[in-house]
Amino acid sequence: MSGYRCPVCEYVFDEREGDPREGFPAGTAWADVPDDWCCPDCGVREKIDFEPMEVSR
Amino acid sequence: MSVDTIAIVGTGVAGATAALTLRDAGFDGRVLLIGEEPHAPYRRPPLSKDVLRGSMPDERTRLRPAEHWATKGVELRTGARVTGIAADAHEIVLLCGETLGYDRLLLATGGRPRTLPVTDGVPGVFTLRTLGDVPALRDALTAGTRVLVVGAGLVGAEVAASARAMDCAVTVLEVERTPLARVLPPVIGVRYAGLHRAAGVDLRTGTGLKSLAHNGSELVAIDTDGAESHADVVVVAVGMVPNTALAETAGIEIDRGPVGGITVDSQGATSAPDVYAAGDVANLPNRVLGGRQRVEHWMHAQDHGAATARAMLGQGTPFDVVPWCWSDQHGVTVHITGWPDAGDEVRLDGDLDGMNFAAEFRRDGKLVGAVGVNRAAQIRLLRKEIAARTSSEAIA
Repeated sequence: MSGYRCPVCEYVFDEREGDPREGFPAGTAWADVPDDWCCPDCGVREKIDFEPMEVSR
Repeated sequence: MSVDTIAIVGTGVAGATAALTLRDAGFDGRVLLIGEEPHAPYRRPPLSKDVLRGSMPDERTRLRPAEHWATKGVELRTGARVTGIAADAHEIVLLCGETLGYDRLLLATGGRPRTLPVTDGVPGVFTLRTLGDVPALRDALTAGTRVLVVGAGLVGAEVAASARAMDCAVTVLEVERTPLARVLPPVIGVRYAGLHRAAGVDLRTGTGLKSLAHNGSELVAIDTDGAESHADVVVVAVGMVPNTALAETAGIEIDRGPVGGITVDSQGATSAPDVYAAGDVANLPNRVLGGRQRVEHWMHAQDHGAATARAMLGQGTPFDVVPWCWSDQHGVTVHITGWPDAGDEVRLDGDLDGMNFAAEFRRDGKLVGAVGVNRAAQIRLLRKEIAARTSSEAIA
């Protein structure tokens, strides 16, 4: 499982935690997040702009 | 009276977010989203950065996919200008003559670039605010083009950085002693001056534009220090003016002071029954520091639009979201939150000259603002700390 970070505000989507308020339960794979989904915090970048990152346990 | 129709004037992020929030909050009546611009709602922040440089296609600035508005039952009318409000009759009038009734009205009319009398009618002068402003400016910025940017605020500084990245020769005039003076305290502003100069920008502070003329082959500018400069393109970036005329004509209270804007309460309500205002145009209470403010940042417009939409449905709470913005210049990202200007003490963590720091601004020992370079996560936490103070200490 990995994390993906918004390049603008550094919001992190962690696959293990998902983002329930966005409708993605814990364990949601990045591949299952729609392409037109945009950063829930800054709203300015879309999925394809997110940068993969290591998330520590 | 039941609420059947909600009309929103302005398709910027405040208005667009409000429309979507109405649906999220369960409103199932008619939602009209009306804007003068020909484009469906889009993101303005990349315009002075990736879009101007040509590294992000215009298409990717759209706020939601084209079909999203219809899917959500939002009647989107682009290229439509609202020319009047009959507040008593609860009607708005469009330029085409059509009259539309509303039960609640949101004015999210934003602003327009402030202009300078000395550049009036001079060819080769640009401003940048809308997607429609981009293509002509982008086409003009080819390698070697001499660009004079008037104003080193967020838009001016970002345009200067983008133009350098496009190999233009860039001169910037700024009347304040440091760039970004409205958002960054001088101690950080001087580092930004250094950043621009190191990138090859001819940044001249403490001077403004005195006169400008086109002599047939180039633009000749004289600044207030008497220095002459020559340019192919002039970009005027000296702030924005809130679009209050529609409200004013309808007899809705506007702020006559230097801050300007449509006066609203902590839930976005104007002086007219059932009329609200949100985003750049709204003059709202500052619930942390007291007094009133207008905030011109993307995140604020988004948050204020959402909060005001809920208020229009009777689900409002006093708006106390702490402002937050960022800026990308020469590959460096700064995050700013709260009101750094209001601080009387700075606590620095990190290295100012190395452009890797977080600066906390405190007043009476309490956090009122923070600025960070390469410290987004830290600024995120500091913003929460300011917000926690809002809910515990602010007065309605």
